Amino acid sequence: MVGTQKHFYFTVTASIVGFMVAIQFQTVSEPVNRDTRDTWELRNDLMSEKEIQSDLLQEIRTIEDKLTKYENDREQSKGELLKETLEEFKIEAGMTDVTGPGIILTLQPLVNELGQEAPTSYVSPSLLQRLLNELNMYGALHISIDGQRVINTSVIRDIGTVTKIDGHSLNKLPFEIKVITKDSEEAEKLLKRIEISPIVGDFFIDNLQVTLAQPEEDIVIPGYQDTIRIRYMEPVE
Amino acid sequence: MWLPFMGLVIGVIIGLLTDIRIPPEYSNYLSIAILAALDTLFGGIRAQLQNIYDEKVFVSGFFFNILLAASLAFLGVHLGVDLYLAAVFAFGVRLFQNIAVIRRILLTKWTSNGEK
Repeated sequence: MVGTQKHFYFTVTASIVGFMVAIQFQTVSEPVNRDTRDTWELRNDLMSEKEIQSDLLQEIRTIEDKLTKYENDREQSKGELLKETLEEFKIEAGMTDVTGPGIILTLQPLVNELGQEAPTSYVSPSLLQRLLNELNMYGALHISIDGQRVINTSVIRDIGTVTKIDGHSLNKLPFEIKVITKDSEEAEKLLKRIEISPIVGDFFIDNLQVTLAQPEEDIVIPGYQDTIRIRYMEPVE
Repeated sequence: MWLPFMGLVIGVIIGLLTDIRIPPEYSNYLSIAILAALDTLFGGIRAQLQNIYDEKVFVSGFFFNILLAASLAFLGVHLGVDLYLAAVFAFGVRLFQNIAVIRRILLTKWTSNGEK
């Protein structure tokens, strides 16, 4: 074949072109991901997105109010506003005592028909965590277990053979779980939801009885007493 | 003349076997690049038939046209103007012209061979 050198480059180029065509063909012929949600799922998604939007708008409003306040009071009382903001953050982090409407749940050992108390007084951490999840899901704002405030970094775990929350042992039954909600209406709703929730049955299996009192107006929840460790925390970008 | 065709087929087979895919966002650029490459390929075939084939022109034209077409598409995406259409028109027209010339040359060659 005359000019095989020329033909070599040509062949290489032709194979490159063929390669590109094959890649393109495979890329394009991938099945397209279809959105298979039906009307009701779409409605639910829309509902949750709307809630997120209204929450965000509210946050924007409060932050903008704070911003205008800072700008207006900049000349006088520089330290005063900062102290106010610090107090607000402390309340949000859970380091101060809170008073408000809510409910009190009492955890007791199960008393059977003969009037005898069950021998075990052990509350499993996963069960307590599930109870916390249910309370948070149904509108609890502030929670304390046996006088120990539950904050974002609280852990409930089994150390030794004792369930501890943030270092405070939960080995003496009965103890109280106090919950504060936004208002009395929310407290009623929370009570009803917990009453029909399967979590009470789960406690029953563990020989524990959850007593739900009627909602009260002024429940006092203590603040978080220990120091909050922030050594491994970083601000979000 | 069959060697380049074999090259094409081998390239396609290798591509299909290795099952390589590119992210779907870049498939536009690849399609433009393929158009430019095909045009250059047929231009090379035409040059070979007209005996004016220069390998440097061919290889440099191949890569340069691909780069030019892809950058035109990229620029068009970022400017918001469909600049890739310019590449499509240009390479498409040249492709048809090259194929027409090839067809004419081949026909004259075969008819003249037939007359001999």
